[in-house]
Amino acid sequence: MLHKCTISGSGGQGSALMAKMICLGAIKEGLKVVMTQTYGIEQRGGDSTAYVIVSDQPIGSPIVENDADIAVALSSSTYANCFEGVVPGGSLFTNSSMVEAPRDARGFRQVLLPVSDMAVELGTVRCANMVMLGAVLAGTGLLRLEVAEEVVRESLGAKKPQLVELNVNALRAGFAAMEKEGN
Amino acid sequence: MIQETLFLKNTETFAESLARCGVKYHFAYPITPATDVMKRMAVILPRYGGQMMQMESELAVSSALAGAACTGKLVATSSSGPGLTLMHEAIGFMCAAYLPCIVVDSMRVGPGDGDILGAQSDYFVVTRGGAHGDYRTVVLAPSSGQEIADLVPHGIRLAYRYRIPVVFVIDGVSAQTTESTTLPAYNDYSAEFDTSGWAFTGTKDHAKRALITGSYSHQDGYEMNERLRAKYEVIRDKEQMWEQDGVEDAELVVAAFGIHGRMCRDLVSRMRADGKKVGFIRPITLWPFPDRAFEALGSCVQNILVVEMNLGQMVDDVRLAVNGRIPVHFLGKTGGDLPMYTLADMIAEADRLLGE
Amino acid sequence: MENLSAKYGKTLNLDKLTSYCPGCGHGVVTRLVAEAIEELGIMERTIAIVGIGCGGFSHHYMDIDAIEATHGRAPSFALGYKLAMPENIVFTYAGDGDTCAIGLGDLLHAANKGMPITTIMVNNTVFGMTGGQMSPTTLVGQVTATTAKGRDTALQGYPLLVPEMMRSMEGVKFLARESVATPKAIRKAKRSIRKAFECQVRGLGYSFVEVVVPCPTGLKMRVRDSYARCANEMTDYFKPQVFRDETEQVDVA
Repeated sequence: MLHKCTISGSGGQGSALMAKMICLGAIKEGLKVVMTQTYGIEQRGGDSTAYVIVSDQPIGSPIVENDADIAVALSSSTYANCFEGVVPGGSLFTNSSMVEAPRDARGFRQVLLPVSDMAVELGTVRCANMVMLGAVLAGTGLLRLEVAEEVVRESLGAKKPQLVELNVNALRAGFAAMEKEGN
Repeated sequence: MIQETLFLKNTETFAESLARCGVKYHFAYPITPATDVMKRMAVILPRYGGQMMQMESELAVSSALAGAACTGKLVATSSSGPGLTLMHEAIGFMCAAYLPCIVVDSMRVGPGDGDILGAQSDYFVVTRGGAHGDYRTVVLAPSSGQEIADLVPHGIRLAYRYRIPVVFVIDGVSAQTTESTTLPAYNDYSAEFDTSGWAFTGTKDHAKRALITGSYSHQDGYEMNERLRAKYEVIRDKEQMWEQDGVEDAELVVAAFGIHGRMCRDLVSRMRADGKKVGFIRPITLWPFPDRAFEALGSCVQNILVVEMNLGQMVDDVRLAVNGRIPVHFLGKTGGDLPMYTLADMIAEADRLLGE
Repeated sequence: MENLSAKYGKTLNLDKLTSYCPGCGHGVVTRLVAEAIEELGIMERTIAIVGIGCGGFSHHYMDIDAIEATHGRAPSFALGYKLAMPENIVFTYAGDGDTCAIGLGDLLHAANKGMPITTIMVNNTVFGMTGGQMSPTTLVGQVTATTAKGRDTALQGYPLLVPEMMRSMEGVKFLARESVATPKAIRKAKRSIRKAFECQVRGLGYSFVEVVVPCPTGLKMRVRDSYARCANEMTDYFKPQVFRDETEQVDVA
């Protein structure tokens, strides 16, 4: 089992946190993970990209080189890079609340979900990343939903207990929406 | 502390591994990308009864390190290229003085002030020595967070067995990579060694001892160097470490350390899957350089490709090891937006050398 | 014959013939340091960290552990040592070249850190071991091997007043300049050196004593003339005084 993920968004969208949640969940499942942060020209404006590799074997190259099988674009400014970096047969999860004119995916699947709008309905746009994470889990089987919920509880529980429910609901909403989408 | 798997930046893994393996005192000066080591040490060392001390220059860092090492206690420092340059005065001194210590170098682009981006450009300075005189330090090059945790106990044992500075080098990209790493339970590996025969702890413990690296006669200087020569020969003989795969029938062997060495595993498995006879050698000790891995290569090997994040440093040692027997090629870069060649670049170059 | 150990104590190693030149002030300062260590009963846990230069020989005449540090770095060595072994007494001993030319940065930061270590700076206004070159404390107009026409302030500035630089540092708990120019001056120097060690023994903080001494060889002077110079020109500029003495405070150690 090997997944390479590219998770990107604009400042404040929490793409790095989303990537970290995946890593912590994978460690709970006894998997190996590597995360590298944006380097180079992609680091412009407030954009940030995190690359995550999850495997049940020791991980060789830690670099995701435009060969992600799971890509997430939370913002329009990061969309083009994400789109170019998906391998054939991979999945691109696009935040359709922000990306107004998504391109036609050839050779890979593109999931369009208005995660920012869904997050607003749940109470705050700031949990869009967790809605997206729920959708990614449902769409790829990367982690079990319960594991992600556990990570949310453990990471937020101590410092911000009031945010646990919101984020768990966001995860569940994204998960459910993706299942409905016809996984 | 118990054994546990954490999600840590590799700089933090260095700090955790060193503290869990017995380092009590850590001296450092802030420098990107090594600063995270000292930051974490400042937080965790007091839990082990130790202390991180920030100094006002790397000259002072390495001098304080040497002073603390004189007590026999396990001490460490962390820096990056420009800081390491300044530290060499005391590193050379500690080699002459038979003092153990651990140095962590998160390599960045040079020369001069250079760039904070990662590189493998300190290969020369750590394997050749940045200070004057004939000296060597053991140099270990882990390629992942897990290997850092696994190699630190070994590094500490080498430092005390040979009473020598042991330098860990990691490129700045790997230094800033975050990984799942299983950290060891607490165990002071330096405690396996009796330091009472040499530590400068006061005449309550022994007759007067003086640490003198200067020569009071020409004969002194000669003998000190002959002792060092003999020690280095033993280390060369006993302590070469490397990882290899697929070399037995390889037509092409790719040699790389650190992150590029780690990438070689993917390179070989992918190219082997396409029926290409490729193997790799990943030196783990940069000094002593694993000559034996290269000496053992069979006549099937037609080319060696060395890949580094620099302009060609380890490639010299590979050439010395094969001594003209096999053509040695080089692929490397440093600086730029991504300061290294990708796996795809490496595979393309390997294919070119295979004549494909 | 009188038992010398009974008179001078065990710290001073009287079996060794010193390599100091005839008339050198180091001999006096080395003895004063040994006496302070002896009197405080700390010989067995005292470590000398000596610099490069003639001061580097000092430990040979004391039966204590010693580390010959790299040039100018003795204060940093001492900090590292003291952190790792706080129960031991650590002092640095070096000349003006080691202490305040190449080692000034290390010295001032060590002083400012205020850890309980002790520095003895032996100031003879010249690089002695390398044969009489200018040091930061060379007097204005003083002829040395590298200032053939005398120290020129336009090019080389003025002699460095080291303890004066530490006066504003809170962590410095004992700060003095003394000389060995006369028997009376030596008695005062003895008192200050002892207090500097006492300051550390009691854990109060950093302590520093500059001792102004003659270097007849480096200055190419007769011994008697070099002592006269020490009593006059040298101490006119480098004024002996106790700048700070907090050894009267409550013990910390």
